[in-house]
Amino acid sequence: MNLGNKNTTWKLVSWLLALALITPVLVMLISGVSSSSDLFSHLWQTVLPTYISNTLLLCLLVVFFSLLFGVPAAAIISQTNVRGKKYLRWLLMLPLAMPAYLVAYLYTDLFDYAGPVQRLLRESFNWQSPADYWFFDIRTIMGASVMLALVLFPYVYMLVRTSFECQDQNLIRASRSLGLTVGQSFVRVVLPLARPAIAVAASLVLMETLADFATVQYFAVNTLTTAIYDTWLEYGDLSTANAIASILMLFVLFAVVAEQKARAGQRHQSTRFNNQIQEKKLSAGQQMFAVCFCWFLVIAGFILPFSLLMMMAIDYASVEQLNDLLSSGINSLKVAVYTATLATLIALVLALLKRLHDSPMRQYPLQISGFGYAIPGTVLAMAMLATLGPLDHWLNDFAVMLDVDRPGLILSGSLFAIVFALMVRFAAIANGAINSGIEQIPASLDFAPASLGLSLKESLPKVHLSLLKPSILVAWLLVFVEAMKELPAVLLLRPFNFETLSTQIYQLISDERLEQGALGALLIVLFGLLPIVYLNKKESNV
Amino acid sequence: MTTLLTLSELSVTLQEKLILSGVNLSLDTGNILGLVGPSGCGKTTLLNTIAGFIEQDEGDIYIEPNINIEEGNMIAPEQRNIGMIFQDYALFPHLTVWQNIAFGLKNLTKDEKFTQVTKLLSLLKLNDFSARYPHQLSGGQQQRVAIARALAPQPKLLLLDEPFSNIDARLRNELMLELRGLLKQLEMTAIFVTHNKDEVFTFADKIAVMDQGRILQSGAPLAVFQQPLNWQVADFLQIGSWLPVAQNRECYQTALGNISMDKANHYPRESGIQQPQYLLLKPQHLVLSQNKTVNVRVDYVKITEHGFQYLLSSLLEDDLLQFKQISYFSQQSYLQGQELALEVAEHDFQIFYK
Repeated sequence: MNLGNKNTTWKLVSWLLALALITPVLVMLISGVSSSSDLFSHLWQTVLPTYISNTLLLCLLVVFFSLLFGVPAAAIISQTNVRGKKYLRWLLMLPLAMPAYLVAYLYTDLFDYAGPVQRLLRESFNWQSPADYWFFDIRTIMGASVMLALVLFPYVYMLVRTSFECQDQNLIRASRSLGLTVGQSFVRVVLPLARPAIAVAASLVLMETLADFATVQYFAVNTLTTAIYDTWLEYGDLSTANAIASILMLFVLFAVVAEQKARAGQRHQSTRFNNQIQEKKLSAGQQMFAVCFCWFLVIAGFILPFSLLMMMAIDYASVEQLNDLLSSGINSLKVAVYTATLATLIALVLALLKRLHDSPMRQYPLQISGFGYAIPGTVLAMAMLATLGPLDHWLNDFAVMLDVDRPGLILSGSLFAIVFALMVRFAAIANGAINSGIEQIPASLDFAPASLGLSLKESLPKVHLSLLKPSILVAWLLVFVEAMKELPAVLLLRPFNFETLSTQIYQLISDERLEQGALGALLIVLFGLLPIVYLNKKESNV
Repeated sequence: MTTLLTLSELSVTLQEKLILSGVNLSLDTGNILGLVGPSGCGKTTLLNTIAGFIEQDEGDIYIEPNINIEEGNMIAPEQRNIGMIFQDYALFPHLTVWQNIAFGLKNLTKDEKFTQVTKLLSLLKLNDFSARYPHQLSGGQQQRVAIARALAPQPKLLLLDEPFSNIDARLRNELMLELRGLLKQLEMTAIFVTHNKDEVFTFADKIAVMDQGRILQSGAPLAVFQQPLNWQVADFLQIGSWLPVAQNRECYQTALGNISMDKANHYPRESGIQQPQYLLLKPQHLVLSQNKTVNVRVDYVKITEHGFQYLLSSLLEDDLLQFKQISYFSQQSYLQGQELALEVAEHDFQIFYK
């Protein structure tokens, strides 16, 4: 398909867009690698090795717990007749709406020495001091891992469940007719076939873990993300922060490569017609275990923290809080709406180019623009500062040359930097939603309008864009919610006195006063539920 | 010869729909049964019920010497010792050819396993492919792996679900004969499902014709071919064309002239006189007439390896007796639209009630 005389313009625009999205990271890497500050070598000799090993350990533990929660949940829902399956199926996705740092705060509140659980225990058993009994300490790397896994396991659950449900049931029948019991065939056939999906899910969890900032910061577990934050905000050393960010990028790169490899392995995964899964009928004991397991995850990952938040919000509601909420809420909305709209537009341009353009290079702009998803917010913030800072200086020098007023930090110190960073980070989400929508449009529809005498300009809005409406909505919604939730990039890039819901909540959490921001936190969670509800409705309509 | 498999009054209901109703069938050791019928008639469900993937609601399955599966005594598929070859072969994509074949071999030493797999590899001419993965094989090779895998645990009974449907039409006959030879060589008892009547006559020692969850007729292929029990069987197996007949006092009237009543056999036998009635007209019984005026027109000409096949319609315009499509084979070439005089040769007429 040819785009006619707009061909070159379109191509140029999409390449420029894609490159613009990735440039800051390149600048950061160069600046990081060429950094020669004393601080870096000092850090390297003192704390950095610990930070790196902490980061590695955290990743390992979070992936382990996420698989431990997610894979059995997927197996129970897709393979058995567990009671309440209809509801558990989507209830298990709800924890995705919970930011990990909120869960961390709420559980710390609950399980700390001064918290209600330990108080109750002390009262009941007449213990006087911590020396009288043992209770797990939640503010450890192990605690942080469990908190993160409680909200990240739905990635594993969703991907692996889908993979289980798409398996050719004849393969399982074949293994049964070759003498394997249900359990043996699960281990030898079902699970190995789902391995690529498990690997993709594990690498997504890995990326999210590397991107987490607030949870580890709150638990005082020092990792590379917290190191970047401290180096920049406390020492003000940008190039060292860039260097640490570059190290973190290496980790991310590993996760990306692992994910790509796993996706390639999914190629010969069949999605054939024999998909009527024969449910395993659970015995009373198994049923009990399965029900408890699933409800534990739903309650621990969503219902309990959500209820605690509700109670806080009701107990501490005040006019003052509503005022704060209003101003930071508007800021959050601004950031999220701008980001979602721009990311969706860019994704549309890039995806349509890939579809309608017949050059061999056509898919690259879309792919390049998607890399940002893996980049942690802290790293992106560094990249923005490394790129936009010098740009601002040049602009100001230029203004002086022209004898006009200095514009100040119009790029690095404004909403521009935040929206740009979030766009880079979430472009992949919009790309994915829109591209999968485009792939569902039959190829013949690219040509049909022309055979009816319509030019591409006339047919694009009538055919492709109107067919894409649901995908555009999904893309917008997903980016909107992610942008609402994103914390570290906003925290590092925000202009002076600029608070969003998430930064406000972070501040309150750091001061141990979440009560005063409970309403805002509730709002973030409720927004996070939107795409889950929408996607679930869409799934049940199919 | 002993009976290996006996099905009695087998019924299966799936999603509140009766899929199999009162199926009775038996199969002798070493025989190949061809289960044939139109799409959706319950053939695959019957196969899956025998294999144990679907539970029956009523009736028994008995497998020599001691497996008795009845209501309340279900036996898991893995304990039935029944091999299955799936329509899409269902090869494990994550395992090599070797691992696929060795998959069902349990309780064997490493050496025994090696001997058994090697034997099957050479039996099915797969020696060169043992390290490959299923997606690196052609359709025919995949089928051979599926066969080897199913044979490896030495099942008592082998079930094949439309085994030739994914094979190129040109190679199908050759593969069918090859597989039949192999099963006979191993004295394997087998049931295979098809909706293709040519396959069933090439491959089976015994056939069973199914429709709407019931077995209409079973027996040796030739017996079924010569004496179909009712019109569905004759129609599905395309044994001949349908010539409408009307009963007179002393003869049957047809658009091709009268035929004598004395030589007529009626099917199904138990039914009384019902309308409409049809004569099952096999091509060899349709001949050129020396003394009649033209009575048919050539509507369609097909060139085949044994001469010309013509589809004829009657010139007679009688609501009861006229026909649209009767097959006539000849070495003589006629043109489309040409009119001919034909008659029905004397034979044991088979009259069916629809």
